[in-house]
Amino acid sequence: MNGSIVQVVLFYLLAALALTGACLVAFSRSIVHSAFALLGTFVGVAGLYALLAADLVAIVQVMVYVGGVLILILFAVMLTARVDEGKESNPTVGKIPGLLAMLAMAGLLVVTAVKAFGPRTVISEANPPSTVSPIGNLLLSKYVLPFEAISVLLLAVLLGAVTIASGRMRKGAGGKQEGEAPR
Amino acid sequence: MNIMHYLADLLVRSLFKADPATWPYTWIAYAVVIGVGALLAFAFVAIFAGPVTWIERRIAGRIQSRIGPNRNGPQGCLQWLADGIKCWLKEDLVPATADKPLYLAAPYLVFTGMFGAFVVLPFGAHVIAADLNVGLLYILAVTSLVVVGLLMAGWGSNSKWALFGGVRSAAQLVSYEVPSAFSLMAVVLMAGTLSTQGIVGAQGGWPWQWFVFRNPFLFAAFIMYFISAIAEGNRTPFDLPEAESEIIAGYNIEYSGMRFLFFLFAEWANMWIMAAVATLAFLGGWQIPGISPERIAEAKGWTFVGWQALSFAIFVFKGTCLVFTIIQIRWTLPRLRVDQLMITCWKYLVPLSMGSATGVLLLMALVREGGIVDWVMRGAMLLVGLLVAGAYIRKVRATFMADRDNYKKMEGRDLWYPPYRLP
Amino acid sequence: MVPTVPPAVSPHRRPPRGTVRAYFRNIRLALSTAFDGMSVTMSYMFRRPLTIQYPDKIDKPVQEMLPESYRGVLEVDMDRCTVCLQCQKICPLGCINIESCKNPETGNREVTKFDIDIGLCMYCGLCAETCNFDALDHTREFEATVTTPDQMILHFVEKPREVTKLKAAEMPVRKHKGSILQKMIPAFGRRHPQEVWTPTAYAAAPVPALKAPTATPKPAAPVASAAPSAADSPTPEQAP
Repeated sequence: MNGSIVQVVLFYLLAALALTGACLVAFSRSIVHSAFALLGTFVGVAGLYALLAADLVAIVQVMVYVGGVLILILFAVMLTARVDEGKESNPTVGKIPGLLAMLAMAGLLVVTAVKAFGPRTVISEANPPSTVSPIGNLLLSKYVLPFEAISVLLLAVLLGAVTIASGRMRKGAGGKQEGEAPR
Repeated sequence: MNIMHYLADLLVRSLFKADPATWPYTWIAYAVVIGVGALLAFAFVAIFAGPVTWIERRIAGRIQSRIGPNRNGPQGCLQWLADGIKCWLKEDLVPATADKPLYLAAPYLVFTGMFGAFVVLPFGAHVIAADLNVGLLYILAVTSLVVVGLLMAGWGSNSKWALFGGVRSAAQLVSYEVPSAFSLMAVVLMAGTLSTQGIVGAQGGWPWQWFVFRNPFLFAAFIMYFISAIAEGNRTPFDLPEAESEIIAGYNIEYSGMRFLFFLFAEWANMWIMAAVATLAFLGGWQIPGISPERIAEAKGWTFVGWQALSFAIFVFKGTCLVFTIIQIRWTLPRLRVDQLMITCWKYLVPLSMGSATGVLLLMALVREGGIVDWVMRGAMLLVGLLVAGAYIRKVRATFMADRDNYKKMEGRDLWYPPYRLP
Repeated sequence: MVPTVPPAVSPHRRPPRGTVRAYFRNIRLALSTAFDGMSVTMSYMFRRPLTIQYPDKIDKPVQEMLPESYRGVLEVDMDRCTVCLQCQKICPLGCINIESCKNPETGNREVTKFDIDIGLCMYCGLCAETCNFDALDHTREFEATVTTPDQMILHFVEKPREVTKLKAAEMPVRKHKGSILQKMIPAFGRRHPQEVWTPTAYAAAPVPALKAPTATPKPAAPVASAAPSAADSPTPEQAP
């Protein structure tokens, strides 16, 4: 199928979406707008994955980042006090370290791009094979140890969160009872 | 074979007398066919979501001993059109203090999330927009766009009720995604694929071939999926995001006109999506009893079209039955409190759905498919299903008969008034 | 889906005994109560709706379905009225306006005006209770819609008439309640039960000239739809 033009057009559209989102995240005055602009980045990147015929990765990107991470960020942002005041919630700090980090990141990307430069593989099949079962098989055979290690890590994180939250809850409940007006 | 590919190739062959494999502009034909398909799906959503509002109001009327809207058009069947036109003609208000870009964008995001799921719904043997390899995951993923849209609406309206509604809705959707995903995982394990057509293909036309009646764990998974789907759709008894007694209307309170209509549209479309997913995952989808999918694929000409239409009708019928159940639940059960909602999810549905997925795995490992144990299990589950249905009918009859004599004594008329008699 | 609320348990206390049993009891209760509720609502799909589809699709006029004691628009049977003015005195709102005088020719008392402002009336029923002759009473008519505000004042005396001197037992039988009103306002007229109400049909109905007292013996109010019997004919001519 002669779809390379379509693919190129789609690539630039999706890349523009991701980059626009990223720029809005960086330059927006309101932190809530920044958080919502992340949606564009996540969806654009998922589209790029889909363009690379990585269907499972694309879907998981949407599910995990849009359905999970973004929602968590939004909750955190919305629970922030005085979120509407850009100076309080969204200040510009550390311009020089930021510049250095940006340069380091750009150098890394350039090195990667130069290294990866070579004969490009264009996906020409109309219906590329599914990546679901190969990924599943690999996760449960070759990479089963890292997979399990990650799940143990997640469990530890969950337990830690519960411990911290339950300690707070106990304190909060006690304080509330003391502060409650007698009826 | 995908119907989209088939149609696009047909278009190229017949219209341009070119070979679709080598012709350089085949992709235009594909784009056109995809656009038309999207329009058709949109039309289905509109034609479904509109009248179902009227049907729900009629059913709600009967359940509450009323009649419901029956004035606009024959038996009020044009009521939805009148409502839609009214909304269309209303002014699209933006509150002065609203966060304008977010406020304006939110309805479209919600609608995109709902509408995106229609792409992978298998309406018939070959009637599907795109049979993705990750179909079910895709549905779960695009519906997460809805959460962002609702939060956006809640925040952008700059009203406390809207924000409460949006945050409640987001918390609810994020929580209930877990049990619904686990319940669907049980099905995915049985079918061995994520593709919606593959899951339908792993079942059969007869009830004992459906996944609900395969084993007790899948039966439980079906009920749990249904509950969490209702919760994800913000329907009663889980309609806390729009609890009118506390937060008036929730996230859509500041909206008016067309944007408000988009929210309602998404809600009704979502009802169909959850019914369709439950149908395809548990109730055998479009499968025609006694006709294998191969026979449909091999059929030629009008027979092929006939089989397609029949499978479409079967799918829509099953989905409509579930939609009716969802409507009936709305007019039966009272709304839950916030803490009850979260308890239901995290203490009951999440562990139980995990358990059902594990149980399915266990049975897959222990019981050979098609073996005697498997058939005994299917028979037993079918029997359980029939017994539940029988008990339901008996109970309905007993409730009816309990009031019949008193009604006759008081009113001098018979209480019996069948649903098909429209007053 | 959880009908019974588990008691709030603080996180640092040991769960009470029987928690596991309560857990499964909750699941059972949730399913069984939902089942019961669904069967009740389903049974209503087969029951006759209570709605009365006013004003059309009804077996008989709504007025006849109302209880006898319904307090609708007031009505006076002038054949039984002795002009005792009890009703006018007791009316808290003063919506009844009666005037009478002595005819210099015959020397009889004549009533010249008996107006009831239904726009003012609050349907308390005091006047109907004080009336000793069963002349003034509430009807079951309620569709008191008129096109201009002055039509809300009902004139029960079109031209001066002699006040009856009969005792209560000798008086003519009270006319059927509502029959006098029906001739005064077309909207009060009993429609045919199957007749469908349409705005055009209402607009086409002639507007009665209620106010202008005319020289004709019969009231000018045309009869819209009801067919009054000859016995009910109003205001028998008083021979001077």
